[in-house]
Amino acid sequence: MAKHSNDPQADINIEDLLRLKRAERPSDEFWSDFDRDLHQRMLQTLVKKDPWYLQMLRGITGRMGQNVGIAAAAALVAMLVVRPVFVGTAPAGVSVADSAAVESAAAPVAVAMAELTYSEATSSASAHDYAHDVISADEAIQDAGYTRDFGMERIQMASYDAVAYSADSAHSRASFATSGVASLVF
Amino acid sequence: MAIVGTVAKIFAPAKEAPLSERDLDWAVVQKVQAGNVAAFDQLVQKYREHLFSVIYNMTSNREDASDLTQDTLIKAFQAIGRFQGKSSFFTWIYRIAINTTMTFLKKRSRRRYISYENIDEEVSNSEIVERLTATNRTEKGVLVQELQEKLNDSLQKLSPKHRTVVVLHEIEGLEHAEIAEITKTSVGTVRSRLHYAKQQLQLYLKDYLA
Repeated sequence: MAKHSNDPQADINIEDLLRLKRAERPSDEFWSDFDRDLHQRMLQTLVKKDPWYLQMLRGITGRMGQNVGIAAAAALVAMLVVRPVFVGTAPAGVSVADSAAVESAAAPVAVAMAELTYSEATSSASAHDYAHDVISADEAIQDAGYTRDFGMERIQMASYDAVAYSADSAHSRASFATSGVASLVF
Repeated sequence: MAIVGTVAKIFAPAKEAPLSERDLDWAVVQKVQAGNVAAFDQLVQKYREHLFSVIYNMTSNREDASDLTQDTLIKAFQAIGRFQGKSSFFTWIYRIAINTTMTFLKKRSRRRYISYENIDEEVSNSEIVERLTATNRTEKGVLVQELQEKLNDSLQKLSPKHRTVVVLHEIEGLEHAEIAEITKTSVGTVRSRLHYAKQQLQLYLKDYLA
C-alpha cells in the first residue's frame, strides 16, 4: 500500500486509527446466541450449587480423602525406599518374600561358610596330617589329666585321597585341625 | 431574615442527587446478593458489549472473545456474593475480564487464526476512511478491510500489558486512573505503558499516518 503521509491534507494520527476499532461490533444475531448460551451456562451454575451443609460435608470428606490419598502415597514411597534395603541384606538367591527363612538360616549358613573357608585355608596342613597313617589320641588324654579306662587305641585313618571325603567331612577336618583332638564327628 | 432563610435551607428536604452509575450498579448488585438472580441480567445487558470489545481487541478472535466474555460474566455471577462495593462494579468486572483474558493469552502458546468482527457501516462513511480512500485512491471496502487487518495485527504485536492499556484507553475510552485501578498499577505506569505502546503502533502503522 502507498504511503499516505504524502498528502498534506491528511492529518491522521494513531488515535484516529484506533478509534476505528470501536466500530467492530457483532451483529444482533450474535448477541441472541450469546445470551442463550450464557443463560444455559448460568443455569448450570445454579443447578450445580449445593446447600451449604452439603458443600461443608464435601469439603470435610474431600479433606479426608486427600489425607487417605497422602497416606497411601507415603506407604508406596516407603515400600519403594525400604525394599532395596531388604534386597541388599538378603543372601543371594533368597527373595524378600522369604525374609523369615533368611533370618533363621543366616547364622548357620554363615558358620558353615566360615568353616569351609577355614578348612580351605588349612587344607594343606590337613593334607599333611592325613599323610600320617596314625593319629594318636593318647597324648591329648594324658594332658587332660585323667586315666583312660580303655586301652591304647589308635585310630586308623585311611590315607585316602582328600577328594574322596564327602562334603560333610569338611567340618570334621576343620575340628580336627583346630582342637588337635581326634574326635571326628560325622 | 437572613438567619431565618439559612435555617429554612438547612431544614428543608434535601434534593436527591442523581444516582451515579456506581450507585445504580451497587443497587442492582444488592438485589442479586439478596437472591434476585434475574437482576443480574441487567448488569449483563449493560456490560456485555463493553467486555466483549475489550476481550476481542485483546485476543483478535471472535470466538475466543465470546467464550471469554461468558466466562467473565459467570465468574462475576459466582463471586458477586463476595463483592462488597469497595470499588465500582464496573472496575470489578473489568478486572475479572482482564485477568481472565491474560490467563487465556498465557495458555495460548501460538497465535491463532484471527477471525475479524464485522465493521460497522458508519465506519465506511467516517471522515478518516474518506480521507484515506481519497489519498490512496483505493476502493473503500478494500481499504477498510486492509486497515482492519493491519490494526489487529499491530495490536497483537504488542505485549499483553501494553495492549491492555491501549485497548482500555484508546478504544474503550477509560481514564488513566480507571485503568490503573483495573490493572492494579499506578497512573504513572499506565501513562508510561501507553506512551511506549503508541510509539510501537506508530511504527507498525506508519503507512497510514500523516
